[in-house]
Amino acid sequence: MKKVQTNDVILQTVTKIASFIILLFSFHLFFAGHNNPGGGFIGGLMTASSLVLLLLAYDLKTVQNILPVNFIYVAAVGLFISISTGIGSFLFGAQFLSHAFDYFNLPLLGKTELATAVLFDIGVYLVVVGVTMTIIQTIGERE
Amino acid sequence: MALQILLNFILALCWMFLNNDYTAAAFVVGYVIGLFSLFLMRRFFRRRFYLINIWAIIKLLFIFIKELVLANVSVLKTILSPRLKNKPGIFAFKTDLKADWEITTLANLITLTPGTLVVDISDDRSILYIHAVDIDDAEKAISDIRISFEEAIKEVSR
Repeated sequence: MKKVQTNDVILQTVTKIASFIILLFSFHLFFAGHNNPGGGFIGGLMTASSLVLLLLAYDLKTVQNILPVNFIYVAAVGLFISISTGIGSFLFGAQFLSHAFDYFNLPLLGKTELATAVLFDIGVYLVVVGVTMTIIQTIGERE
Repeated sequence: MALQILLNFILALCWMFLNNDYTAAAFVVGYVIGLFSLFLMRRFFRRRFYLINIWAIIKLLFIFIKELVLANVSVLKTILSPRLKNKPGIFAFKTDLKADWEITTLANLITLTPGTLVVDISDDRSILYIHAVDIDDAEKAISDIRISFEEAIKEVSR
């Protein structure tokens, strides 16, 4: 990859705002997953895409400075969370991967349905982010 | 800092539009989620994560309240003592603060400290002339100001 010195002021400035809005939209998709289209998979892809936008506007090194995370570990942590929600159902004498939900009165949100499926989704989300970013970073690092 | 707060505000508004929920609760939830994404990308900004600055401002506010109480108690002591044995005088205090609001805040805080009062600021804005009720411990007053106020103000503007 040849380093071309260009002046990316417009791209970088737009990225500064747009990447945050994409990140917010990915969180929205993640939380919408239960009753609306969305969920862990597309939310994770969207988060990864906001990081890819950063990669396009800046370079690999800058993004690694912004997020000093090894994305392989992110995927591993996600898998661990997903599996432990499955194993956690043994503690209550239920079958593997059976999920529960209940309604709670939270201080700000009012009556909210909290499901353990969300925990499983967090695992999926982290795996997707980790795998996508690992693929893109490994390809990008090759000269 | 202002840029980060503005961005967080915009993100909270975006969250309200995405959820089609125009209540204060949705705004707060969006603000918290925006705060989280700002925290995730905090190295993206040249300044540090803005909650640290807000914490420094709150600390400065508490210092201000504490000094206000102490100043009034010490003046009360001076007034009520039967014999005036204090030695008034003026000393110079050299400051490293640069911005206008920093110097103004420092001057106002010094005025509210027990027994000191800012009289004038030198033309190059590096020296504050302070009138003290009791000049005997001017050195102590200088070091007190430097430790408590100047550091707290620097912490806010960093």
